[in-house]
Amino acid sequence: MNAAKHNPSSLKRIFRRGIFYSFLIALLPAMDILAGVLVAPPVVFMSEKGKAGRITVQNPTNAPKEITISLSFGLPESDSLGNVNIFLNDSTVTDPRSCLEWVKAFPRRLIIPANGSQVVRFVAKPPKNLPDGEYWARVVIEAQEGVAGIPMLEADDRITTKLNMVMRTAIALKYRTGDLVASLEMTGAETRIVDSKVEAMLDFTNKGNCSYVGVLACRLLDANNKEVSTFDLHLAVYRQLRRRIELPIVEGEFQAPYRVEVTVTNRGRKDIPPEEMIYGNDITQTLAVES
Amino acid sequence: MLFKTHKRFASALLVTFVLAAIAAGPAVEAQEVAVGGANATVLAVLAVTSVQDLNFGNVLQGVPASADIDVIAEAGDFQVTGAASTEVALYLQLPEFLWNSTNTDRMIISFGSTDCEVDTLITATAAAKSGNETVEDPYNITAVTLGGGGGAHLFLAGSVYPAVDQAVGAYAGDIVLTAAYTGN
Repeated sequence: MNAAKHNPSSLKRIFRRGIFYSFLIALLPAMDILAGVLVAPPVVFMSEKGKAGRITVQNPTNAPKEITISLSFGLPESDSLGNVNIFLNDSTVTDPRSCLEWVKAFPRRLIIPANGSQVVRFVAKPPKNLPDGEYWARVVIEAQEGVAGIPMLEADDRITTKLNMVMRTAIALKYRTGDLVASLEMTGAETRIVDSKVEAMLDFTNKGNCSYVGVLACRLLDANNKEVSTFDLHLAVYRQLRRRIELPIVEGEFQAPYRVEVTVTNRGRKDIPPEEMIYGNDITQTLAVES
Repeated sequence: MLFKTHKRFASALLVTFVLAAIAAGPAVEAQEVAVGGANATVLAVLAVTSVQDLNFGNVLQGVPASADIDVIAEAGDFQVTGAASTEVALYLQLPEFLWNSTNTDRMIISFGSTDCEVDTLITATAAAKSGNETVEDPYNITAVTLGGGGGAHLFLAGSVYPAVDQAVGAYAGDIVLTAAYTGN
């Protein structure tokens, strides 16, 4: 028999429990109140045929967000150790491939209400006789709480501090004109064994007139062609790039000498729509690892 | 008796789900609207979240104060989420001074070369890191490959140096974290 069906106090109790659990569930999104905003897509493509682009900025939190949209210039750059970083620069940019000066965003400041979203549009006004190729910028989306972060003074005789954590997401913007060629060359490769892993230092040079965006896949093979370990990552080469790859020599019945099979292709990227991909050459090379 | 208790719990659970479904309705709809214009790339969306502000608490005139990178209530905590196993470049812009609300006095704030830690465990906290976190110079952070959970935490410590004659009041400053995919 269902006890609740015949006992009003049990029904009330069940309802109260239900309310309590619902309250707990309702608190979960509230815990996310400090979250930033979501921006899609991760790359904005514009061209001479479509001089307008757009992104959608979504505020997934329960608090309004103040959003600032700006444009900067920064390419993935590597140091001698193969560490890659992107340093943004929004003034005195003299790079001939920068479209910073002639792409504008609308609006540039906005407040997105709780759980709301907003479309931000970009318009390009390229100079005449722009040489064929791809021109770049980074869209910087800065999110802050909709309420000013001024600390509350707890007492008249105290010093209090407040650090406002400002969140910025930078996504790529690419303007394309004319005939585009994606071409990549591996200009250098070194391998060595460091502790229990193989370290490969790979140098790439972009020979085309647009960024080479693809996937770098490496396989560590032993003397019997057995796969020891693999590594792959998304690759974007704008000019030159050095990548350091580490392939662990996992425990097993593997025999030296080892080889590293390097493959670079710009097929298989799922984060970029196929119609926006500029397909170019593939690279496959096998590197011997000295013991 | 046990059977009766289970029945009650099941009934309460049912009520919970009904109420939760009613409450979650509009949020789900909002999500769909937002995703509508974002095509299939939405899975790779990169987002930066401020989980915890860097907090020095109350400080005393002439007494430097530091935030501990292993204490949840003190360490700054940014969460970066995106597509799993993708590489993200991180760049911090850090203040040199905190200013009071009238902009009449300032306090020195500094960050050491080991005041930043990056952990690719999505559930990591300042007090409970994965053990594989890397110590970074906050002025030169190595790009991070997001973990299998599609995220990483950046923890930040620092120190403030109030002067002996520091004016009492509330001091504020901005810490800006920029995240960008290196593969685009």
